[in-house]
Amino acid sequence: MPEQFEPKILGFLCNWCSYAGADLAGVSRIQYPTNMRIIRTMCSGRVDPTHVLEAFKSGVDGVLVTGCHIGDCHYITGNLACQKRVEFLKKVLEEIGIDPRRLRLEWVSASEGGKFARIVKEMIEDIKKLGPSPFRKEAIGVEASA
Amino acid sequence: MEKIEPSTEEKPRIGVFICQCGINIGGIVKVPEVVKYAQTLPHVVYAEDNIYTCSAEGIASIKEAIKEKNLNRVVVASCTPRTHEPLFRNACQDAGLNPYLFTFANIREHCSWVHMHEPEKATEKAKDIVRMAAARASFLNPQEEAEVQVDPSALVIGGGISGITAANCLANQGFKVFLVEKEKELGGMLRNIYKFYPTDEEVSHILEPMINSVKSHKNIETLTSTTVKNVEGYIGNFVVTIAKEGEKEENKFKVGTIIVATGAVEFEPIDKYGYGKYDRVLTQVQLERILQGGRQALGKFVKPKTVAMIQCVGAREEKAPRAYCSRICCMVAVKNAMQIKEWYPDANVYIIYQDLQTYGKDYEEHHRKAKDAGIKFINYTRERPAEVTQDTGKKLNLKVYHALLGEETQLDCDLVVLSTPLIQHQEGKDLSKILKVPIGPDEFFLEAHVKLRPVDFATDGIYVCGTAHGPKDVGESIAQAYAVASRAAGPMANRKVRTEAITAFVNRDLCVGCRMCEKLCPFGAHKIEEGKSTVIEAICKGCGICAAACLRRAITMRHFTDDQILAEIKTAFLSESSVGGL
Amino acid sequence: MPKAGLVIGAGIAGVQAALDLADQGFTVYLVEKNPSIGGRMAQLDKTFPTLDCAACIMTPKMVDAGRHKNIKLLTFSEIKGISRKGKDFRVKILRKPRYVDETKCTGCGACAQLCPVEVPNDFDERMGVRNAIYVPFPQAVPLIYTIDKENCLECDLCKNVCGVNAINYDQQPQEIEIEVGAIIVATGFNLFDSRKKEEYGYGVYDNVITGLALERLLSASGPTGGHVVRPSDGRIPKKVAFIQCVGSRDEKSGNTYCSRVCCMYATKEAELVKEHVAGVDVKIYYMDIRAFGKGFEEFYQRAKEEFKINYVKGRVAEIIEEPSTKNLLIRAENIELGEPIEDQVDMVILSSGLVPAATNDLEKILLIKIGEDGFFAASNPKVDPVTTSIEGVFIAGVAEGPKDIPDAVTQASAAAMKASILLKE
Repeated sequence: MPEQFEPKILGFLCNWCSYAGADLAGVSRIQYPTNMRIIRTMCSGRVDPTHVLEAFKSGVDGVLVTGCHIGDCHYITGNLACQKRVEFLKKVLEEIGIDPRRLRLEWVSASEGGKFARIVKEMIEDIKKLGPSPFRKEAIGVEASA
Repeated sequence: MEKIEPSTEEKPRIGVFICQCGINIGGIVKVPEVVKYAQTLPHVVYAEDNIYTCSAEGIASIKEAIKEKNLNRVVVASCTPRTHEPLFRNACQDAGLNPYLFTFANIREHCSWVHMHEPEKATEKAKDIVRMAAARASFLNPQEEAEVQVDPSALVIGGGISGITAANCLANQGFKVFLVEKEKELGGMLRNIYKFYPTDEEVSHILEPMINSVKSHKNIETLTSTTVKNVEGYIGNFVVTIAKEGEKEENKFKVGTIIVATGAVEFEPIDKYGYGKYDRVLTQVQLERILQGGRQALGKFVKPKTVAMIQCVGAREEKAPRAYCSRICCMVAVKNAMQIKEWYPDANVYIIYQDLQTYGKDYEEHHRKAKDAGIKFINYTRERPAEVTQDTGKKLNLKVYHALLGEETQLDCDLVVLSTPLIQHQEGKDLSKILKVPIGPDEFFLEAHVKLRPVDFATDGIYVCGTAHGPKDVGESIAQAYAVASRAAGPMANRKVRTEAITAFVNRDLCVGCRMCEKLCPFGAHKIEEGKSTVIEAICKGCGICAAACLRRAITMRHFTDDQILAEIKTAFLSESSVGGL
Repeated sequence: MPKAGLVIGAGIAGVQAALDLADQGFTVYLVEKNPSIGGRMAQLDKTFPTLDCAACIMTPKMVDAGRHKNIKLLTFSEIKGISRKGKDFRVKILRKPRYVDETKCTGCGACAQLCPVEVPNDFDERMGVRNAIYVPFPQAVPLIYTIDKENCLECDLCKNVCGVNAINYDQQPQEIEIEVGAIIVATGFNLFDSRKKEEYGYGVYDNVITGLALERLLSASGPTGGHVVRPSDGRIPKKVAFIQCVGSRDEKSGNTYCSRVCCMYATKEAELVKEHVAGVDVKIYYMDIRAFGKGFEEFYQRAKEEFKINYVKGRVAEIIEEPSTKNLLIRAENIELGEPIEDQVDMVILSSGLVPAATNDLEKILLIKIGEDGFFAASNPKVDPVTTSIEGVFIAGVAEGPKDIPDAVTQASAAAMKASILLKE
């Protein structure tokens, strides 16, 4: 029986809005598949392009970056900085042979639990269609050591 | 604070506490399995599960384990850090462990609750989440919240009703106040105004005692004919440079907080409706100055038989900066119309308005009183404004399309009064640059948050009140002045503020002074010293925008360092693929 | 020894006043009659004119208030009596029984999952349901469950599943007494009872709802998950009408004042309805549009030009329900054109005015002078907007009169300032 490809998706969530939105999805018991792992930052403006590239290098199939809606950023302009970086990153990804659709930017507010779950489900389906990342190999997860 | 180094001297000894949360987690995720798995992770020397890690028993268990097992890092895998992080941080602190050596793994909101029908996969995901948290934990460093001393003194810029009120309140609360006013006299705009609405009290009866109170208050130093030239520093430690008019010498002093109360001026509608051309076309403030002289003064200027007031002149325009409604003009017109009618009961007084802003509980009442007194209201639309021309005498001919009656109306007026908006003045714009605080598209000072922080600036320690913030009436200005006195009192009463522990740090060896961080920081927390960037920790809010931007990798974000984030990225998935399948 | 302060009411004004005083180092008792703090703002979907998510901006403040070392939160509690002690006050507070042990409950929610009872919930303006054991909303502070004894079956399902044995059917009300140096009254508002405008059919016609109920429909965490649907049949409306000044500026209903926020909240809700429902037709029947605050005029112009919301200057005389479709026929007069209007719509939103929430009992205890409009009166609304007829008692927020969030927050800080001077003595 051929095994179905299950995408590995890494999500960067900002503490004030999108992490709270994901929490609300949980509180509301909205179900979605298990493919995502979440990294919390204080602001989507903290998301460093080199981190996203490192994520793809580590073999993830998709990266979701989320933040507060424009105008709602707890640090006023963090999400604007993030938006510019993601635009730039998509071009870089294309250059190095990664489909830019593997990187997705979404604004999720603390009350949008449903939206968060929907985005996760959509992204899993989209990445399934794109197939495994060209950087994926076996024996990836490098153990972090101090 | 010092440079960040990964903790090489001391090997991490991580304790992992996994919460069952009753059946919320334990009912889906096989917690004992996750505990066993946690014990296999690098640097994890202890792992246990709890029914409720947040309960008194759970907390006690954490503290005990820290002491007994000599833990120097703690991971709790349970619900969301957004509610419980402070609780567990305190637990660590109580046990003698720096609270920033603790990290959270969310296996409830982000796992058991959203994968209720896939317990196997949820368990594998929980293991991944715990592994990520442990990896992050091994890179954590202790952090300290620094304390910044706050001088219990305030600078109030502007000696109008807002500045005077704020100064009085702050002084009454026991703080030293420097009140700086650019004019020779205190009082601001109110010196031009005759009476308050809707109470009909004469302004001088209220204003004079307040000015005297300020001048005689032992805690207030009043500096008139003085302007602020420069401000350096940060909350608790502002260094202010002032200069008196006509004097070359500048003075410097230190204050803990700054209140902006610089007011606003009336827009002068040059060439609108004959203003500036015809003698008998005035603004409301010009009318007020005449009214201050009493019935005779008005009669001397003109015997009012027919008076028309036109609302929204130069306001509610299509484009900024004057796209706003100036809030008070409808009530000002009603007030002045009633005053004219009181002195000259036979006068015909018209208010030509677009939308009547007699809002709230008292003003609507006043609107009705005006109607009862015989003031006539004519509704016009923006698309069909009035026209004012002057014939050979001094009489003014006003034509307007009465929108409610659907017909052209003509009035022969002795006096036309234009209600124009309050606007920001040049000194206000200059001050915004000196203080590095923003002004909005309407050119008034822009607060930290329009809904929940109406009198704070985003920059800590600086506040705004009165018409400097936007058009409002005296009661609203006074309420704001009271409010800033409360806001500023917080840091000053405590004589200190705690700064964020999660702040940026610049490695000056790597910094090349490109100033990208300074440009991007929303709070002005980067200072360029000797060509390189330094973070003013008292101002830094910990967003990390600068750290992500620095092309030289010279900026570290404490508690969200690159190492910590990369550790999480690299351990998020393993080849055994916890998502199942390929 | 600095004195403690008391804040009555934990909506946004009460929370702000408590935080300001607590930040200055004073102990503050924050008393709230509902099981959670948050008040009306917690019920809103978004706030005007910034369209911030109300819960997102408010919950951090609520969490701060819940965790502040100087704030003693007394929720599900009411003031029973106040007496003078010199310049200070002795206050009797009744802590109503939750039948759940506050010191044990972790807010895990396992109880509510099993509770078989469902009743309409006040938080969703009765458009949604809750269990007999409940928290009013997921971000409640404190996150402690409460049993509605009236509807509880005592079936023990919750008792048996509770991992910390927090359920106690025999819990008794508790009366405590505190001594404070100053009191801030921030008791907020209720909506005008729109049933008094019989001609609009509220309470009789299913598809006539208030603006506050619409907020719950708009909210992603509301009873319909953010879908704007008609209460009668759950269908998506194609034509919606807002009616302004319901219970405001209206001699007949007894409230002649302007409620100050309805023009703006209707504009906001109209925009959100347009965002939620593709192609919906939205009209607002108004007398004057009061868009006088910061950013308000620009917001209103955007509603007209970008969102194509139709503002009709007209008074609505009556609404008639079509019995089979439950559609509504609006009979009004277009004041600008001077013509009668007949407008058939699927749903009507009444922009109901604000009336004070303070109960008669509380008013009798506080003895503050009340204005003709029913709100607590400030001594001099011009130069002393937070002081009342009773020394040491201050007012803030809509308790003093209708106002929007920034004005309520400002007034709350203003009241805190006044109170702090007394507390230092």
